[in-house]
Amino acid sequence: MADRRRINGPPGATAPPIYEDDSNQESSGFKATRTRQPNTIRRMYLKTGVTPSASGSAYLEVEMPGKSGASGLKLSCTVHGPRSLPRSSPFSPHIILSSHVKFAPFATKQRRGYLRDPTERDLGTHLEAALRGAIIADRWPKSGVDIIISVIEGDQDRGTAKNQADDSWEDMNVLSGCITVASAALADAGIDCVDTVAGGVAALVRDGSDNGKTKIVIDPIPSEHDKIEAACCVAYLPSRDEITNLWFKGDLPSKEAGLYQELVEQGILASKQANRVLVECLGETVG
Amino acid sequence: MPLDTSAYSLALLRVDGRRWNELRRVHAQIRTQAAADGSSYLEMGHTKVMCVVTGPSEPGARRGGTTGGAGGGGNNAAEVSVTVVVAGFSSVDRKRRGRGDKRNLELQSTISNALAASLHTHLYPHSTISISLHVLSQDGSLLAALINAATLACVDAGIPMTDYVVACTAGSTSTYAANDEDADPLLDLNHQEEQELPSLTVATLGATDRVAVLVCESRVQASRLEGMLAVGVDGCKQVREILDRVVRDKGRKMVSEGTVERGIGLESMDLD
Amino acid sequence: MASTQHVLLSPAELAYIHASLSLSPPIRPDGRTPTQFRPLVAETDILPGTNGSARICFADGTEAIVGVKAEVERTPGADAVYDPDHAYDTNAGETALEAGQSDWVELSVEIPGVRDDDSGVAFLSAVLSEALLADGAFSARLRINRRFHWKLYLDILLISPPLSYPLPLLSLTTHLALLSTRLPRLKSEGDEDPFFDDDWAAAPHLFPRHDTTTTSRPPITLLVMAAGRNIVFDPSREELAVADVALAVSVVATTAGTGKKGGGRSLRLLSVRTIDPPSRLTPPGVANEANSAYGAKAAGLVAGQGQRQPEARAAEAERVEGVWRAPRGGSKAGVLAALVGKVLEEGGVVDEVLEALEGVDLG
Repeated sequence: MADRRRINGPPGATAPPIYEDDSNQESSGFKATRTRQPNTIRRMYLKTGVTPSASGSAYLEVEMPGKSGASGLKLSCTVHGPRSLPRSSPFSPHIILSSHVKFAPFATKQRRGYLRDPTERDLGTHLEAALRGAIIADRWPKSGVDIIISVIEGDQDRGTAKNQADDSWEDMNVLSGCITVASAALADAGIDCVDTVAGGVAALVRDGSDNGKTKIVIDPIPSEHDKIEAACCVAYLPSRDEITNLWFKGDLPSKEAGLYQELVEQGILASKQANRVLVECLGETVG
Repeated sequence: MPLDTSAYSLALLRVDGRRWNELRRVHAQIRTQAAADGSSYLEMGHTKVMCVVTGPSEPGARRGGTTGGAGGGGNNAAEVSVTVVVAGFSSVDRKRRGRGDKRNLELQSTISNALAASLHTHLYPHSTISISLHVLSQDGSLLAALINAATLACVDAGIPMTDYVVACTAGSTSTYAANDEDADPLLDLNHQEEQELPSLTVATLGATDRVAVLVCESRVQASRLEGMLAVGVDGCKQVREILDRVVRDKGRKMVSEGTVERGIGLESMDLD
Repeated sequence: MASTQHVLLSPAELAYIHASLSLSPPIRPDGRTPTQFRPLVAETDILPGTNGSARICFADGTEAIVGVKAEVERTPGADAVYDPDHAYDTNAGETALEAGQSDWVELSVEIPGVRDDDSGVAFLSAVLSEALLADGAFSARLRINRRFHWKLYLDILLISPPLSYPLPLLSLTTHLALLSTRLPRLKSEGDEDPFFDDDWAAAPHLFPRHDTTTTSRPPITLLVMAAGRNIVFDPSREELAVADVALAVSVVATTAGTGKKGGGRSLRLLSVRTIDPPSRLTPPGVANEANSAYGAKAAGLVAGQGQRQPEARAAEAERVEGVWRAPRGGSKAGVLAALVGKVLEEGGVVDEVLEALEGVDLG
């Protein structure tokens, strides 16, 4: 369905440009491998108060290792509110949270339209669940707050071939980034939360180099691994030791329920690391 | 595949073997769903529809996607809001119709207007009767089936109404272009016939000749129209008999099972 | 319509339901045991115009119909690989095309009175399709040859108004519809244009009934919630309104070997998602001590303005027995693990549900 009001990009499939690496790596046959420890997340940059017109805002950027200059996920979040609900809406004893996640049309290899697609809505639902647990909602009866996240750049490596990476795993990385950045923006807007909530991803990966053995890594980059068996994204409140949102996906035999728990624990670990960045960033703003 | 109408004049039999004035098999059930205020399931040939009626109830915030505010809105009479959902798997080729589809909107407002006129909506001021219709399979006469199903569901919901609103389609044996003077009228068209031949949908108020809905979206000579209309109205009477049978059977069954008490005035009804 | 639809229950009622669900053993409003499902009526193959269809009616009156339709579609990019002269010279692209792709399945959920771009509907269809596509084995079944595949359209209709959170109903109906799905028997061979047997009686099931080695079934998604220390399956709307945490857990069962019923059944966990419990939006109750109608002094009148804030906050934090407070914060990892563990339990609820579904007569 073409949107007639805007100037749209070329219809249908255009071959995504694949850029040669400027470094001396062989572009053909070369496959990025993970150089980080399995229990460290990528470095990230977080800054609050980037949009003066919004009541709260934050910007998050996650580094893409192994490439100079290129960077991974870029998210910008604005929070509008708390403000009064429109007259027509019924009484609510709590603050009404509405979250929108939107990919920029150029954020991923496959061009995204201007209308929100089901994935974006789905991410929005997850984000809402994650934040609703953190916000002390009964302090603002009869009011609403809008949380708008734009994904400026998705978590995709431009160098990888089309079939190599599966988009669906990247959604988890995007979600975890969304949770962290939204939490920072909420704090910037001065909305009371029980704690800062941050997202973390852990994945069970199978690599050919390890003789097909599985291992758990946190903050995975799908293109760095041969196959991702399962992944899980958690939103975690460190001071209360509670999870507000959990999204697990994959294929695990029930005999290995321990593996599932370990994944969640590693997800929590990733979330704790992201939370340290979050707290430091918020501390800077205050100080 | 174009419809071969040439064979009709030879044996006076239509593509599915019916005579000109024969209805397809009509199968109907009411109270198909325990939780709804009223519900029904209706088959006219291979056209299968389900209907669920909620209300009369307080007008809620649920307004998404429903149209048709016939019956004076929320003030002095109940609002009849109709939603038609055409399942993607209902036709031979899968085609998904969005909720904002213009054909759907037209179906909705036609049904809403027809029912609002015959239901005693003035008894329920400030309330909404919401009718949701699901098309599971379509093979012509869609609007007629929807109206019949909605009527049955309203009967089940116990909403007072003047009479059954029953609908049926009628057509003509030859195309408009053929300009055949002595073309016979046809009753209850299937999808194939509906594609090729001129057709109209007529709904009447029970066994009377009072027409509640008349929709004709194809070109037809005015001289043929009268015959088609007469056949359609006659078909409606047949449909009314069938629907009435269904309602009475269900009522009888419920009384004999003890689901409902035999009311005053029911003594005259023969319970077998 | 998310799970967060408004429930018309007063704080006192919510507190009562929560308290009775937290008892040991829990007392559910409809008298079920914690692992018991609502009784249901199910039938399959109700629509001859579809490849597979099913209808399930829960005892509370919610009803869903699922129709599956399949169309042959050309696999994009495969024609480059195919060369009629060297039809069996297969090297390139073999592995890439062996597996199915996730866009071979299109799933749509339709709920009356809800806009189809509602995020709750998007969430429901994401949960259902995620479970279907999790292992890639399902879409691999849709492969015809290297150039063509079946495109499967799953249309999920909720017939009744959504009285309770419809996820388990929709999932079970989809499961049955897929079980009854049949695809025409392929007559052509190799990578030539597909040609099918027009005898519907000869059409094989998408999920073969009596496979000799392993039988796999479509996945099912269950709704589990925790209240207090109890785990409750298939919560009704009222129960969900007081849930501390609710999870949608998708599992698939594979039976190794035939013969024994449920003997060699092993479960695989496909997806877990937290459902935002509507309890977070419920109105809180006011304890008598804090209610000025019962003689409580309004905070802030006694204390100075500066002290008012912390005091009000302290009052906010403490819980009074029997007074409903919407849950705040998340849930412990242990609780979530226990919920998932309970679903995966051998001989547990999933086995029960699957056996019940297998009992449904598949025409």
